[in-house]
Amino acid sequence: MAEPDEFAELLRRANAGDGPAFAQFLRRITPAIRTVIRAKGSSLPEHQHEDILQEVLLAIHLKRGSWKEGTPVKPWVYAITRYKVVDAFRRRGAIIHVPIEPFSETLEDLSAAVPLAGKDAEYMLSHLDGRGAALVRSMTLEGESAEDAGEKVGLSASSARVALHRALRQLARIAERTKN
Amino acid sequence: MTTPQDTDAFIADLAARPAPEPLDLSRAAGWIGVALAMGLGGILAILGIRADLGAALQEPVTLAKNIVPLLLAGLALPFALSTSRPAATPPLWMLIPPALVAVALFVMQLSNTQPAAIGTEIMGQTAAACLVSITAISALPLIAGIRLLRKGATTRPTRTGALLGLAIGGLAAAGYALHCDEDSPLFYVTWYGLAIFIATGIGAFAGHRYLRW
Repeated sequence: MAEPDEFAELLRRANAGDGPAFAQFLRRITPAIRTVIRAKGSSLPEHQHEDILQEVLLAIHLKRGSWKEGTPVKPWVYAITRYKVVDAFRRRGAIIHVPIEPFSETLEDLSAAVPLAGKDAEYMLSHLDGRGAALVRSMTLEGESAEDAGEKVGLSASSARVALHRALRQLARIAERTKN
Repeated sequence: MTTPQDTDAFIADLAARPAPEPLDLSRAAGWIGVALAMGLGGILAILGIRADLGAALQEPVTLAKNIVPLLLAGLALPFALSTSRPAATPPLWMLIPPALVAVALFVMQLSNTQPAAIGTEIMGQTAAACLVSITAISALPLIAGIRLLRKGATTRPTRTGALLGLAIGGLAAAGYALHCDEDSPLFYVTWYGLAIFIATGIGAFAGHRYLRW
């Protein structure tokens, strides 16, 4: 089988600083990672699979120095994938996801009761620390990805998600206070 | 919602970043050695080396006090390092024979000792000093080792940490044996074993906490 050698050659060049080779390497291994995620991921909605895939790809980038030239690439990729997928599922596992679309006709409009409504978003953001406010602004209001938003404030994508989560919780508390 | 198109852009973004440094495990081993030498040097500078070291090492049962922990460490350290790469499968069963040698030494001495003397021989004179010293010698190299292995990518953080603790505990015990003049296996298998076990436990805990990525 010539395939593993081809992967090894791409990763070797990638680690020597060849960016296009690394892009090609990641694109070539992506279908296999998708398969692993899908096999494990029946309990999670499809749209989260893509997020987990990106977490795995990021891990492969960050830890690609741990591949030793001359050793097989596929087991290395699978080991990282398994580790990261298990981790991702564990973190999301506690949440049960029910798609809301089928109910959208019958659910009452809750927007009137949303604590943020009618308040000046910028005023509320001014109560957060600078980084949290920046993340809420770029990720929640402007819809940027965690990677882009995180990079601006010097955080990794996953740290940005965590920081955003914290900021939103803090906002909820502020909203709760200002309501009364 | 993240789409496959986003992922394609994400890949292009990752590929544009500089490649991280390759994981250099022999360099990590070197720094662990330096940290161990500092810890051991410090303790031996305080406690001194036993006066009859040359003669004591002629005695196989006494020599085993150095050799058995060294053997354990000599196996466990490469295992700890190699498991810092994903998909490594070290032959962990190889740790069993040195452990069995220690048990055999203990049992042989047990059968040669008067039942009334067993308790005092196990307790010896310096059990507390032994535990404290070996743990103290281990502290610095353990901190260094965990920090260095954070650059790695173990997929079993607790196990890698435990192997590192076992290796460093073994090295520390073998070094402490240069000072310690209690040569009964009843004493040293018990207390060296316990000290190495403590180091292994600390390593496992630290691995679980700090080697995850």
